[in-house]
Amino acid sequence: MNRGENRPRPLEIIERRDPPTSSINDSIVTLTAIGAGAFALLFAVSLLAGGPVQLYGGALAAALMLLAVAVRRFFTGRYPDVTAVEPRDEPATGGAGVSVADVEPVSPRRSFLTRALIAATGLLGLSLLAPVASLGPSPGDTLRRTKWARGVRLVTGEGDPVRPADVATGGLASIWPEKGIGHERSSVLLIRLQQPPGSPTRIEWVVDDLVAYSKVCTHAGCPVALYRERDNALFCPCHQSTFDPARGAQPTFGPAARSLPQLPLGLDGEGYLVALGDFEAQVGPALPRG
Amino acid sequence: MTPLFAWLFDTLDERLGLRSPSRKAANKVFPHNWSFLLGEIALFALVVLVLTGVFLTMFYRPSIEAVTYNGSFELYRGTTQPAAFESILRLSHDIPGGLLFRRIHRVAAHLFVAAGVLHMLRILLTGAFRRPREVNYLVGIGLITFAFAAGFTGYSLPYDSLAGTGIRIAYSELLSFPVVGDSIAFWVFGGDFPTGDVIPRFFVFHVMVLPAIIIGTLTIHLLLVVRQRHTQFPARGVDGHRFVLGKPLWPAQFAESATLMLWVGGVLALASILVPWSDITLIGPYVPGEVGNNAQPDWYMFWVEGALRIFPAVEFSVFNLMTISGPFIAGILLPGLVFTGLALYPFIERRVCRLEGEWHVLTNPLEIPLRAAFVVGTFGFVLIISAAATNDILSRLTGVPIEAATWFFRITAVVVPPLAAAAVYVYSTRRLRRRGRTVATNEQDAMRPYLFSAGSSDDESMARSGSEPEPEPE
Ligand code: FES
Repeated sequence: MNRGENRPRPLEIIERRDPPTSSINDSIVTLTAIGAGAFALLFAVSLLAGGPVQLYGGALAAALMLLAVAVRRFFTGRYPDVTAVEPRDEPATGGAGVSVADVEPVSPRRSFLTRALIAATGLLGLSLLAPVASLGPSPGDTLRRTKWARGVRLVTGEGDPVRPADVATGGLASIWPEKGIGHERSSVLLIRLQQPPGSPTRIEWVVDDLVAYSKVCTHAGCPVALYRERDNALFCPCHQSTFDPARGAQPTFGPAARSLPQLPLGLDGEGYLVALGDFEAQVGPALPRG
Repeated sequence: MTPLFAWLFDTLDERLGLRSPSRKAANKVFPHNWSFLLGEIALFALVVLVLTGVFLTMFYRPSIEAVTYNGSFELYRGTTQPAAFESILRLSHDIPGGLLFRRIHRVAAHLFVAAGVLHMLRILLTGAFRRPREVNYLVGIGLITFAFAAGFTGYSLPYDSLAGTGIRIAYSELLSFPVVGDSIAFWVFGGDFPTGDVIPRFFVFHVMVLPAIIIGTLTIHLLLVVRQRHTQFPARGVDGHRFVLGKPLWPAQFAESATLMLWVGGVLALASILVPWSDITLIGPYVPGEVGNNAQPDWYMFWVEGALRIFPAVEFSVFNLMTISGPFIAGILLPGLVFTGLALYPFIERRVCRLEGEWHVLTNPLEIPLRAAFVVGTFGFVLIISAAATNDILSRLTGVPIEAATWFFRITAVVVPPLAAAAVYVYSTRRLRRRGRTVATNEQDAMRPYLFSAGSSDDESMARSGSEPEPEPE
C-alpha cells in the first residue's frame, strides 16, 4: 500500500485572500484594546469601591466586547484568509511530511498591536480577580483586638466568675472573658505561681500570685494547654514550644518566638478577678503587617 | 511570538515533543458555517457557568433551616427565612459583585440550554447524526438531559416560592411511578416532602455530580468531533465525502472561537444589568402550602409542565397492584418517549431510507422527507405543549376562559403535529420528484448535484474533482 503518494498533500490551500494593509484597522485594534483594558480596570475599581451593579456589570460587558472586536480585527488585519482542504482519513503521522498551510502573518510584524492585545487580555484577567475581595470582610484591626477590656470579668468555661481563692496553689485554670466564652483568640490561662515572678513579668498585673497569659500559642495558634510540673513550664502540644510563666511566659524552647501576652489582671469591688484592659502585646501567631 | 513565549515553547518542546503535534493541530481544518457555532456557544456558556458557579458556591448555604436576615435589604431585614433563601439575599444585596454573578449564572444557564437545544436541532435537520456519528449524537442527547437536570436543580436551590413549587411537582412526579414511586421519592427526598434533605442533596447534584458528568460527557463529545472530523455543508465542486473543506485552526478558527467566547461573556454581562433575572426578592421564599399564580418553571421545562396541564384527568388502578396516573403518563412517559424517539431516529432513518456507507456532508432536510416530517412533528408537538404551560397567562390576557384555553391546547397538541408532519412530508416528496430525484441512499449520490454542476471545470486538485474514481495502486 502506497496510497499516500496519490493523494493531495495533507493540507492544500484552495483559496487565499490577503488582507490589505490598513492603518485604520491597526488603529481600531489599538483603540479597542485600550478601551477593553480601561473598562476592565473600571470593572475592578468600581466593584472594589462598592459601586452600583450597573456600573461594574456594564464595564465588564464593555471590556469583553471591546476585546472581542480587538481580537477579531487583529487577526483579520494580520493574517491571510485561508480556505483549505484536507483528506478526511489522514495518512498516519510520520511520513506525511510538511503541510503547506502554516499560516504566517502577511503584514510586517506589528509588535505594538500584539503587545496591546496581550496587555488588554492580561488586564482583563487580573480585573476578573477583583471579586476575590468580596469573599470576606476587610480585616481592619480585628486581629489586634480580643474580647478583653477594662472591667471584663474572668469566667470559667461554665461562665462562673473567679475569685483568687478559687485557684489552688500550683493550680491552673482555663479562663474566658465574660460574654466571650468560646472566642478562641480571647482564651486565657490563669496560673498560681510557685515562685515569685521575675522580669519581664509585669508585677502590677499579678494579683495574689496569680498571673494570666493568653492561651493562644504565638507559634501557630494552638491552645497552650499543658502544664509541666517538673519545671513549671507551659507546654504547647502542637510543636513543643515551652514558655516560662514566672518570667513573662517567655519562650524557652521550641519554634515559638514571642512570649504569651500577659493579661492585665485586677479585682473588682466584689472581689472577683477582672481584666484591666485588653492585651498590650499581640495575641497569637505572627500577623502579616508589623 | 514574543521571545519569552518562544523560549518557553522551545523548552517544553524539547521535553514533551510539542512541535509536530501542535503544528498538526494548528493546521487542522474546520468547516465554517454560523450554525456550527451553536455548540460552541453552549460550551462557552458552560465555562461562564463554572466560573460564576464557583463564586456563588462560596456564599450559598444548602439548608432550609430558619435564620434571620440582618443585611442591608430593607424589605427582608429582621425577617426569618430559609437559610438557602437568606444566603442568596445576602449574596445579592450585601456582597459586592454577588448580584451580578448570580444573574450572569442564571442567564448563562438559559443560554447553555438554549444553545444546546438549537445545536441538537441543527444536527437533526442537517443529518449530522448519520453514520459514523451516531455515537456522538447519543452522547449529545445525554448532555441535553444532564443540562436539563442541572438547570432544574439550580432553579430549585434558592428555595424561593417558584423553586419550592417546582420541587413539590418533581416530588409528585417521582411518586407517580407505578408500584415503586413512593420509595423512589423517599430515596431522592429523604422522606416525605418537604424534608430538610432535599436542598442539601440537590446542592450536591448541582455543584458536584452533574457538573462532573457534564464536563466528562462534553469532553468525550468534543474528542469524538476531533477524531471523526467535522461534517460540512456541500460546496460546489468539492468532494466533501473524502475531503474536509474549511479554515485551519490557526489562526482562523482560533480567532473565531476566542472572539465568540468574549462575545458570549460580554452579552451575558450586558443581559445581567439590563434584566433582573429571577429576582428572588420579588418571588419571595417558599412557604409550604402556598403558591401564587404564574407558577411557571424555566422555559425548557415548559413542555413537561404544559403536558401536565393539558393531559386529561386520568388515574386508574391496574388489578389493584399499581396506580397509573396522569402525572406519570404526561410527566414521565411522554418526555421519555420524546427522548427515546430522538435517540432512535438516526437508526430508524438509516433503515427506512436504506442509507448506506458513511455520511460527512450535510443535507437539506427537505431532501429526506422522513426527517423533515419527524423534526416538524416532534418539535411542533414540543412547542405546542410548551405553549400550553402558559394557558393561565394567555387566558388572563385574552379573556378566554381557562377551560377553553386548555381544550384548545389539547386539540392542537394532538391534531397539529401529525398534520404538519404529513404536510411537510408531502411537500418535500413532491419537491424531490419535481427535481427528478429520489432520496439518495449513499453520499456520492447525494452529492452528485453539487459535483457535476456547471462552472466547476477547474481541476486544481483531486478535491475538486473527487468523483473521479481514484486509481488504486497495489
Ligand atoms: S502552635 Fe504551639 S508550638 Fe506550634
